[in-house]
Amino acid sequence: MRSLAIGATGMIAQQLNVETISNNIANATTTGFKKQRAEFQDLLYQNFRRIGSTSSDAGTIVPTGVQVGAGVRVAAVARVLEQGNLTVTDNKLDVAVNGSGYFQVQLPSGDTAYTRAGNFKLSPEGIIVTADGYPVQPAITIPAEAVDVAINASGEVMVKLDGQVAQQNVGQLQLATFANAAGLEAVGDNLFLQTGASGEAVGGNPGAPGFGRVVQGALETSNVNIVQEITTLISAQRAYEMNSKVIKTTDEMMQQASQLR
Amino acid sequence: MENPIYVSLSRQMTLRRQLDVISNNIANMNTTGFKQQRMLFTEFLERPGMHEQISFVQDRAVVRDLSAGGMMQTGNPLDMALTGHGYFTVDTASGPRYTRAGNFRLNDQRQIVDGGGLPVLGDNGQPLAIPNGTKDIMVSGDGTVSTELGQVGRLNIVTFRNEQLMTEVGAGLYVSDEEPQAAPADTKVAQGMLENSNVKPVVEMTALIEIQRQYQSNQKLIENEHERIRSAIQKLGRTA
Repeated sequence: MRSLAIGATGMIAQQLNVETISNNIANATTTGFKKQRAEFQDLLYQNFRRIGSTSSDAGTIVPTGVQVGAGVRVAAVARVLEQGNLTVTDNKLDVAVNGSGYFQVQLPSGDTAYTRAGNFKLSPEGIIVTADGYPVQPAITIPAEAVDVAINASGEVMVKLDGQVAQQNVGQLQLATFANAAGLEAVGDNLFLQTGASGEAVGGNPGAPGFGRVVQGALETSNVNIVQEITTLISAQRAYEMNSKVIKTTDEMMQQASQLR
Repeated sequence: MENPIYVSLSRQMTLRRQLDVISNNIANMNTTGFKQQRMLFTEFLERPGMHEQISFVQDRAVVRDLSAGGMMQTGNPLDMALTGHGYFTVDTASGPRYTRAGNFRLNDQRQIVDGGGLPVLGDNGQPLAIPNGTKDIMVSGDGTVSTELGQVGRLNIVTFRNEQLMTEVGAGLYVSDEEPQAAPADTKVAQGMLENSNVKPVVEMTALIEIQRQYQSNQKLIENEHERIRSAIQKLGRTA
């Protein structure tokens, strides 16, 4: 029976929904994490009586047809790019992006990855690196004799050297934007890679038109709204149960048919 | 002689199809813009003899419940919901298709596309593209899309004289042979919202139970009829 397969598509879809929600909840406190949302679409329809077919010799037309759908599928797990809240950490090397744009990070393979997580550290050589030790691009070296680091809204990194009054510019943080940032591929570790769907990275200084500003001493929290996730979780669970009820009903009806003498 | 069995069978067949429709409603309970469907049955009358008539049941049509689904706030600027009658227009290789699912996004050319990647059309018949280097996308109630640099275009929001004549083609899309008309003035676009499916789970669950019970009673009728015919054959076949 068709309804058996339809119920199964519903259960599969809701299972993926629950998986997406659990990943959001698991990353509720991950710096720079963007929540995801499962989106569903109905499947193909089978026509048993086509709309517009004639219903009598007089040529009257049936106003509606008999179309039975084949269930549901997950069309996409879309990333919601809403800005996360900024939390003040007062750590000189914590940088948050307020607005659009990603920090560029050089992977050991030489590829460039993109991230919103600005919890930067210094490498033994004094280079600004991510929490995983990947250098931020363009590379910025903080001299060992620096006593203070200041990053302004447009990404200029200034240091104050011991015994000097004037600040010294040691580099410029750059951001990358994409035509379709939701099309970036998440590779874990808060990193994203460019794909055919995202478009080419466009580099620019923070604060330039189309680019967000950077905030020193703050981190962008995840944009996961726990209350919303929990309510979605409840509705996903109920939907799963109802689809399993469809399968149970179908099974019982098939059982009766098979017991027919 | 076996007419009761056939009448019962006609009901059981429609019940199975009704179950398929209900299951599809339940499967699409969380599908954006989905409209629940229900079945219409008609009597199929036959007059095999002079003074007798038998009525069978036939599934006549599947109609869509066009009432609005609940609204869900997402905060995503490209999520749009329609209040009132109307459909967004998307472009496919085989012509325009219409949808209530407003979970839109941008593609790599910054065109507004639907969940399946099909470009959403403006009222000039062209896809709407958001200029590079803009951050704020604003959609007003009448479907005008603008950014901080100015207006981009207007969404093509249409309706049809008879919405029941629209055919589902899957992926939330509809097609119609009728000419699209401009949507009524009270149809508004709500930005940052999505229209949930209008499936009422309680109604579907009770329908599910009812289908099952009706199937059972038809089954019982077939069994009784079977018993009747068998005992008739046994009694009549017994030689006096």
